[in-house]
Amino acid sequence: MSIIQINNLHKTYTDTKVPVKAVNGISLSIEEGEFTAIVGPSGSGKTTFLNLMGGLDTPTEGDILIGDKNIKDLNSRQLIDFRLHHIGFVFQSYNLIPVLTAIENVAFIMELQGIPKKERHQIAMELLKKTGLEGKENYRPGELSGGQQQRVSVARALASKPKFILADEPTANLDSASTEDLLNMMAELNKSENMTFIFSTHDKRVMDKARRIVTIDDGKVVSDV
Amino acid sequence: MAWRNLWRNKRRTYITATSVVLALVLALFMRSMQFGSYETMIRAGVNEVGNMQVHDTGYWDNKTIDRAFFTNTALEQKISSLPGVLHMLPHLETFVLASYGDKTKGVQLVGVNPEAEDLQVKISGKITSGSYLKKGQAGLVIGDKIAEYLNINIGDSLVVMGQGYEGTTAVGIYPVTGIAHFISPQMNNLMVYMDLETLQKLIFPFQPGLLTGISVYCEPGLEDQLLSTIKASVGDHFEVISWKVMLSDMLQSIKLDNLSGMVMLMILYIIVAFGIFSTVLMMTVERRRQFAVMISIGMRKGKLVITSIFESIFIALIGVVTGLILTTPALMYLYLNPIRMTGEMAAMYESFNQEPLMAFSIAPSIFFSQSLIVLSLALLSALYPIFYVLRFNVLNALRQ
Ligand SMILES: Nc1ncnc2c1ncn2[C@@H]1O[C@H](COP(=O)(O)OP(=O)(O)OP(=O)(O)O)[C@@H](O)[C@H]1O
Ligand SMILES: [Mg+2]
Repeated sequence: MSIIQINNLHKTYTDTKVPVKAVNGISLSIEEGEFTAIVGPSGSGKTTFLNLMGGLDTPTEGDILIGDKNIKDLNSRQLIDFRLHHIGFVFQSYNLIPVLTAIENVAFIMELQGIPKKERHQIAMELLKKTGLEGKENYRPGELSGGQQQRVSVARALASKPKFILADEPTANLDSASTEDLLNMMAELNKSENMTFIFSTHDKRVMDKARRIVTIDDGKVVSDV
Repeated sequence: MAWRNLWRNKRRTYITATSVVLALVLALFMRSMQFGSYETMIRAGVNEVGNMQVHDTGYWDNKTIDRAFFTNTALEQKISSLPGVLHMLPHLETFVLASYGDKTKGVQLVGVNPEAEDLQVKISGKITSGSYLKKGQAGLVIGDKIAEYLNINIGDSLVVMGQGYEGTTAVGIYPVTGIAHFISPQMNNLMVYMDLETLQKLIFPFQPGLLTGISVYCEPGLEDQLLSTIKASVGDHFEVISWKVMLSDMLQSIKLDNLSGMVMLMILYIIVAFGIFSTVLMMTVERRRQFAVMISIGMRKGKLVITSIFESIFIALIGVVTGLILTTPALMYLYLNPIRMTGEMAAMYESFNQEPLMAFSIAPSIFFSQSLIVLSLALLSALYPIFYVLRFNVLNALRQ
């Protein structure tokens, strides 16, 4: 069964001089356990598409079904709660709360979910271990490298036990070694936890790690392999 | 959560709290100084005239010797037995001409009970040469400007000439026993003190005990209550005038000064509110990205707002408490060790017969009201982040 079902999705920005059809009729289905890259030239609509999937933006037309929920049916507050419980996010950079340590950042999302302190501490510990950050628990984001910060972000995304993780250009600010590390780690988690990852990228080496590559241009899917 | 944010982001907390501290310190100093000067002015004024005075009805509006009255022991005892009355000073005063050699000058001749009067008004401390009055002794204590004008010295005799009671004429000749320097130039130029009994004999030799007024000193807290009690007990023949009426000129100038002080304070508040607001604004905008991430991953805006409110309350409280801790000892010190002033300010003080000392008030109401005002200003300007969060566009913030 697919965990995300997208039907004829459109997003048109009308606040610009000329209306921009950033997403222009995408239909797609994502299965559990996928490791999928969304690729395409700059301005092709990758970010817009991921934001729509993540419930951060609302479509002009079309439907996004996550599990059996059409996210169109949720009001803005329900949408926030939905994101909290079902979707993991990794952003390009400055993902973490600067005043919190690595472990607190991971625990933060569970705090929002209302998980008891002891339990969330334990889970956060485990996740930091899984993402290769053992010993860095009490570092603040500013004291971690870009790659380490992205690992914490992935750990945080995992901590909420989401249905899938969306990552918009997670490696854009990383050097090639860190990029490789992060991707390997994500691939590992994809296998071991059966966690679904959907990430956008420009980077050829990142694409090579993906098991499915959806290429979009001008807001349309041009290839899906 | 809010507490952790503040604790971990010390710089931000410091900057905002510092502006709150600064505001409170400035406001407290300003008010303390102002109220301090008012308090001294009033204290000195009341010390001179009493909390209230009892006269023959109509005397205050038309101060002629014909509105004098004779001591009424029963009445005096009744007043002095009222709870809260500390003491009473009987006075007989009249305007007379004073001559020495070929010079003549109008002076205010005041008969006082030398010992009793000195307990309160302390003229003896202002004597620069000669000595203070003695009961039953015919001698004068005169302001030093009078002495200078008449060119008279200790031991010389001064002729006083004026209206007696009930159409009589009062002429007397008395030695100058003391010359006093009053702080107020007007008093230096006007006041002549003498023993009450001696003056009574001069003004009306046929019956003892003539008075123009009795100054009543009481415990400050009981003043209003005593005013009405005494009014009721003295009846229609007598008027009881509060110091607030007697010193209405002074109160008027205090009011005016306070008004200009309030305007200054208002300006201070506006600057302060603006200062706090801009730091809060800066820091909120700085955290735009952080807010966006928090909302994206699933933090409700309401929760973020509550966190912001708590942060603001904490910062405002930290600022106010620190401000109080810093200011209170300083003001306490200044209250106990007033600053001596010079120039125009000094002249103003002297015109109210006061030492030119810049006094500070430590009235709790100042601390209370200023803390409250600054606290609300801080909280008010800190409302901005809340407003900001509520109309916050996550996508725009993320896109940067
Ligand atoms: N808020 C907006 N208002 C108006 N137009 C927008 C807005 N956001 C994106 N666009 C436009 O929509 C189109 C798609 O943008 P989007 O950011 O989704 O592209 P992208 O594939 O993520 O690009 P990149 O690889 O540079 O990140 C672009 O033409 C962009 O200018
Ligand atoms: Mg993009």
